[in-house]
Amino acid sequence: MKYILMCLSVVGLIGCANVQKKDMSAFTAAAPRSILVVPVANKTLDVDAPIFVLTTLPIPLANKGYYVFPVNTTKYILEQEGLYEGDRILSMPVPTLAKMFGADAILYVTINRWDAQYAFIATTVTVEFDYKLVSADGTVIWNENKKMVYSPQNNAGGGLGGLIAAAISAAITRAAPNYMPLAQSAHQQVFLMGPNQLPDGPYLTPAK
Amino acid sequence: MRLYTVIAALALLGLTGCAQNKYNWNGYDKGLYEAYKDPNQIVALQIKLQETVDALEKEKQVVPPGLYAELGTLYLQEGNVEKAKIYYAKERDAWPESKTLMNVLIKNLDNRKKVLEKSKS
Repeated sequence: MKYILMCLSVVGLIGCANVQKKDMSAFTAAAPRSILVVPVANKTLDVDAPIFVLTTLPIPLANKGYYVFPVNTTKYILEQEGLYEGDRILSMPVPTLAKMFGADAILYVTINRWDAQYAFIATTVTVEFDYKLVSADGTVIWNENKKMVYSPQNNAGGGLGGLIAAAISAAITRAAPNYMPLAQSAHQQVFLMGPNQLPDGPYLTPAK
Repeated sequence: MRLYTVIAALALLGLTGCAQNKYNWNGYDKGLYEAYKDPNQIVALQIKLQETVDALEKEKQVVPPGLYAELGTLYLQEGNVEKAKIYYAKERDAWPESKTLMNVLIKNLDNRKKVLEKSKS
């Protein structure tokens, strides 16, 4: 019984706090209050993926305590300036963009994978993202990569991955694979969990 | 095996604990997704956002970051400049981080109006 309790508390710790932290000195120095999420860059053939992914980014970041600039308003403003694609926005100088919006940091997300592989019995759905958070002067203050694979055969694995997969499986059908739960789950894991999670933002830490 | 299940269940509990929503978004992400998928749903998104901010204001709850401005932009896109300005100002007053952008947007809308009025006279 003692052993079970100990295991549980360890699991609890990993769930919320970080055990080994990556070097966050650049992040701490920049101490951003606000994050501008710019339209997502796309390396896949799915033309809809970038706007769909854009809708999944603000909520986890705001929950982490940051002011997140309204993503659809940001997209609209950039389009007024003739900037329609995430790939073009990536090539814009960071300080120009940050100044235009008055943002402390900019989040660039690139979609590397967004596909479903149809097999005889099961369909495997894969999403993969690169995340890069840059401070207003152009310094990279945080980055991460996340790949999520959903395949019905994985369910036998059990454990945490199994549970997440089971929750997702309800939403994914063979006829029309739904990528959104996978994308949401990827963001949750990189922003809110694990050793390289984002530090808490100003709206999570009490004011000094 | 039972132990494993218990651990997994608790870990999941921990996960949901961490991933809890700090604000009441009332399906903003889903509404935006639907609007991107089918532009006919933009009106539905606008109605939903309006209901959300009205309800939160009434209950004296915090309106999540960006929601006022998103509503303002939807009004702007249908040509309702006055309502757009009202919601941009609300965003600015609720979230100081948005001040620079919201002031620029409001100022641009004022200038645009002036230019239009001049061209008429």
